[in-house]
Amino acid sequence: MTSNVPVTYQEVFRTDRGVVYQCDASNRLILEFWDTHTQLSARDFAQFRRMVETVDIRQMALSTAAEHDVEILTPPRSERCYVLTLCEVVHLRELLTGAKLMLELNAMLRECGCTLSE
Amino acid sequence: MKDLARLRTSVKESVELALNQQIQMEMISSSKYLAMAGWCDRNGLDYSAGFFYKQSEEERKHGMKLFHYLCDQGGTAYSPEIPAVSQEFDSLRSVFEGALDQEIAVSDSINRIIGICRRENDYATEELLKWYVREQVEEEYIARRCLELIDQIPADQVYYLDKKLASVTYDGNPFE
Ligand SMILES: [Fe+2]
Ligand SMILES: [Fe+2]
Repeated sequence: MTSNVPVTYQEVFRTDRGVVYQCDASNRLILEFWDTHTQLSARDFAQFRRMVETVDIRQMALSTAAEHDVEILTPPRSERCYVLTLCEVVHLRELLTGAKLMLELNAMLRECGCTLSE
Repeated sequence: MKDLARLRTSVKESVELALNQQIQMEMISSSKYLAMAGWCDRNGLDYSAGFFYKQSEEERKHGMKLFHYLCDQGGTAYSPEIPAVSQEFDSLRSVFEGALDQEIAVSDSINRIIGICRRENDYATEELLKWYVREQVEEEYIARRCLELIDQIPADQVYYLDKKLASVTYDGNPFE
């Protein structure tokens, strides 16, 4: 973990393109992707993940039209706007899906009284 | 680590998704029944028209019940997209056949969602959906009974048939 990460951040999932942290102090999930840094509530995080999941990457891959070269996504209640190429959509998907699984694992552990290491 | 999603809502994402689909389905039912009511109305079948106007309202209420439930539990309910529905029908029989088809599709959908609730251990939502299970038993019964009457009543007694159809109720409902 890099030293400039706040102490309240817990790593949820990491790929070589980005990291998802959870901050229990602010009840936010933090998405680090390339050099961006976006804080989202659990609800907005889930909604953004669904936005990324439902991008039609088949069309992006097959279409020669310029408008299908990139996908523009804005996480809910956020100033940021991601302009993503096909590869970036796939990388972001991988990161968000991994984070989703870890959050689900945490939920399951909590349901039986355990917790992921602090 | 906190479970942020659980703090926000008791409804899991898969259940939320399924309930939103069900909201849409109820609203589509409402729209279909309204089209059926309109067709009956302009073909002089006033009683059947009244029956479908009422059904249309009921379906909207079914959707709203789920909408409020999701909101109250901290979930996200979406106002659904309603695709175009058919406005024309070949006969009164085909109207009621369409109604039965729709009710069967709704029953199947409710059963599928209860399966999801069980997988997710969401007994609260399952409890709510039991109301829909009972409702569907009644709705399917009524649609089938109407089709029987259409078979039984001679085709030239349109006024009598129309009146009779609108009066069908499920008297011996074992769930009541
Ligand atoms: Fe309904
Ligand atoms: Fe119904």
